Formats: sequence, structure tokens, C-alpha cells
Amino acid sequence: MENNRSSQKRKLKNDIVLAVVIVVIAMAGLLLFNFLKTPGDFVSVKIDGVEKYRYSLSENVDTVIYTGKDNKQENRIVIKDGKASVVSATCPDKICVGHREISMVNESIVCLPHKVVVEIVSADSGAKEPDLVV
Amino acid sequence: MKKVISLFLCLTCALLPLLTFSSCSVDAPEKFKAYYFDYFDTATTIVGYAKNQQEFDAVCEIIKGELEFYHKQYTIYNSYDGINNICALNKTVNGAHKELRVDKCIIDLLLFCKQLYTQTDGQLNVAMGSVLSIWHSYRNEGMDDPAKAQLPPMDRLKDASLHTDIEKIIIDEEKQTVFISDPNVKLDVGAVAKGYAVERVVQTLIGEGITGYVLNVGGNVRTIGSGNGTPWQVGIENPDTDSEQAYIELLQLEDKSLVTSGNYQRFYVVDGKNYHHIIDPETLMPGEKFLSVSVITTDSGYADGLSTTLFLKDFRDGMELIEATEDTEAMWVFPDGTRKYSSGFKAFCQ
Repeated sequence: MENNRSSQKRKLKNDIVLAVVIVVIAMAGLLLFNFLKTPGDFVSVKIDGVEKYRYSLSENVDTVIYTGKDNKQENRIVIKDGKASVVSATCPDKICVGHREISMVNESIVCLPHKVVVEIVSADSGAKEPDLVV
Repeated sequence: MKKVISLFLCLTCALLPLLTFSSCSVDAPEKFKAYYFDYFDTATTIVGYAKNQQEFDAVCEIIKGELEFYHKQYTIYNSYDGINNICALNKTVNGAHKELRVDKCIIDLLLFCKQLYTQTDGQLNVAMGSVLSIWHSYRNEGMDDPAKAQLPPMDRLKDASLHTDIEKIIIDEEKQTVFISDPNVKLDVGAVAKGYAVERVVQTLIGEGITGYVLNVGGNVRTIGSGNGTPWQVGIENPDTDSEQAYIELLQLEDKSLVTSGNYQRFYVVDGKNYHHIIDPETLMPGEKFLSVSVITTDSGYADGLSTTLFLKDFRDGMELIEATEDTEAMWVFPDGTRKYSSGFKAFCQ
């Protein structure tokens, strides 16, 4: 009888240990999942404020965005190694070309003369990222 | 007992996902963004939390209307029918400026500028238009045709600098008129007007009970309230554009303005050297003391004016000015990348 009770106690203890272990693993998994999520998921290209193109930040892209009358204004956008940049443009100030490569969510490159915005957006807006980088 | 434990396990497994996705509840405000390109010769970003797209759009319409109004009033480059704006004040007829009746918002702006002039010992001078317009045209020509880019001749700049006396701008508050008594003195409100306009727009929004928005007009950031209960996260871009690090500080802002004056955005290149747009009234050349200076304070117009001032002032004098001013913090980035902060700046950093 005594034996039985102590073995039941042991079982109970094991069950609790198992429960705690499973919960801890689940929590750790979730944390890891949240942590490993890539910071920037997509490259959004907006023309005059409206999204026209969207690329995955993980793909390799080399494309020219045409804007303006007769589509004569050009911004060449390159996405490589998880970073996006404007490598050449026909705008007068070339501020977009001089801008650093972007990879973090809510980082953006603006070409004012062509009204083009290249921005990193996340699929999950709950990520802890800056609302703006200025 | 076993049953209790397995029930507990099942419940935990069932509830865990709920815990992580709790942010998706139906009533929670969503985050929206809008972009405009037509005001103050720069790009405007609006970020805000609203129940739905319609609510956000309605707020954006107010902001757009206000920005357009102030843009037309404060621009030095365009004149509009029926508006006596800053550009109109700069025009001369038969070799003299005209006394013009202007909108109250211009009187307010110019009074604010005169106050800043005194407070900054003349470093922030909106009567520098004659000097700045020379730089403006050389910069534009240099950007259009980089091979022929040139610096403005110093004697031309020096001649122009003889006509930068802010006392020549005569404001009659009662008659609501402005008159520039020296035909060669020109207004350039570029260092202040954008921020000042943003502050007025924001005051309108606050008056309407709107909160949970950020206006970014060409790097002139003004936050209204918080971002859905947590402070807005605003990164300050790394002036070193070759660096891997995107931003050098991540600030938490609530009901505050942040303005950065830097040498790394608007510039042109002559003989391999960059010449940016913030001109020192003493040397008549672009300021070279810092890569950038950022200012945090409540009023956006004040932040705008101060960041330009600090960019040109010696570090010590600038620090003295900031420490003597309430609710105002600053960060200086030196050419070698070193950063220095006023006493309360770090409280905004993560």
C-alpha cells in the first residue's frame, strides 16, 4: 500500500515535470520564432503614395521603375542579400541614389522629383521596429 | 490527478496561440501610412492609428489642406494669385519692395523668426535671402550639370551679405502688413517655416481632438500622443551612409518634435567635395563643424530653427544654449562620428 502510494506520488511528480517541460519548450519555441523572424520582409515600391510593386526582400531583383509623363523618369532598384537600394536614377538631385541600402522595417528611400518611395514593410506589423527613420 | 494535468496541458496549448495573436482583436486601431510630395519641396509621411481607412483618410485630408495652405503662404519660390506670400514680399517693383497686407500666419511666422534671431545671437537670420539665393542657384546648376558645378564667387556672397539686416523687415501688427525697407534684403524662411507650419497643423489637429499621429515633413518629425499606447519609435538616420548601421539612435517620442539638420542630404559636389545647404552667416560657406545635429523639443518650429542654429554654432555655445532652455535636448554628431548629448537627451533613447 505504502509502496503504491509512493509510486503514485512519483508518477504525479513526473507528470508535473513533464507538463512544465512542455510549457517551457512551447514558450521557448514561440520566443525563438518571434526572434528569428526576419526584420524586413518585403520591399514596397510606391508611386505618388500608392503601392505599385512589392518584392520579397529575400529575392534578387534588378528592375527599373518608370514614372512621370510618357514614363520617362527612371529609378533602377536593386534588391540583393536582403538589402534594397536605388543604384541609378534620372532625377536631378540623385538623393535617392546617395541613400544607404535599406533592410530594416520602416526604413525608406524617397525620390522626391519622381514621387517614388522604396520602403521595407513587414508582413507582421506587430514587430518592434521604429515607426520612422529620419 | 492525471486528468487534471492533461487538462492543464491541453488548455495551455490551446491558449498559447491566443496569447501571441491577442494583438489582432477586432476593435484595436490599425496603423496607416500616407505619402505626399507637393508641400515644402520635400516628401511628407503621415503615420497614424485609426479604426479604419476612412477615419485615417479624413485626418489626412485635414493635414493635406493645412499643409497646402501654409506651403502657399510661406514659399519663397512661387507666387499665387490672390495670396500675398513670402515670395510676394521679396519682389521689388521699380527698385523697391511694396508694403503688403498679409495673412496673420505670416505676421506670426516673422515675429517668431525675430524672436529666434535674438535668442540665437543672430545665428538664425531669415533676412539672409540674398546670400542664400546665390547658393541656391549655384547648387541647382551644379546638380543639373555636375561637370560644370562651381562655387559662388566670394565677392558676390560678401556683397549680398551687406544686405541681411533683419531690422529692415518692418512688421505692422495692427495693420497686418510687412514691408522690407532695403530693396536688396530678401527673406528666406527655409530654416524655420516648414517646422513652424507643421506645428500649426498639429495644433489644429489637437484642437480637433486627434491623437495617435506622426507627421514627418522632410525629416521634420512631430508626434501627437503615442503610437497606440506606446511611445513612437523614431530612428535617427546614420549620417555615415557607408555604415551598416541604419540608425544611430532609436528615440521614444510622445507629443514631441524631432528635427535633424545634416550635411548628408541636400548638397552638390564641386571638385570632389560636398557643399550642403546650411550656410554660416559668418563665413558665408556651408557649416563644417558637424555631420548632423538633432533637436528634441515640443514645438516643431522651434526644433527646426534650433537644429539649424546648433549646426552652425560652436559646440560649447550650442550646449550652453540648450542647457539654458527648458524642454529642449540635442545630439551633435562630429565629423569623426563621435556623438555628444545634452544632459536630458539620453532619457529619450532606448
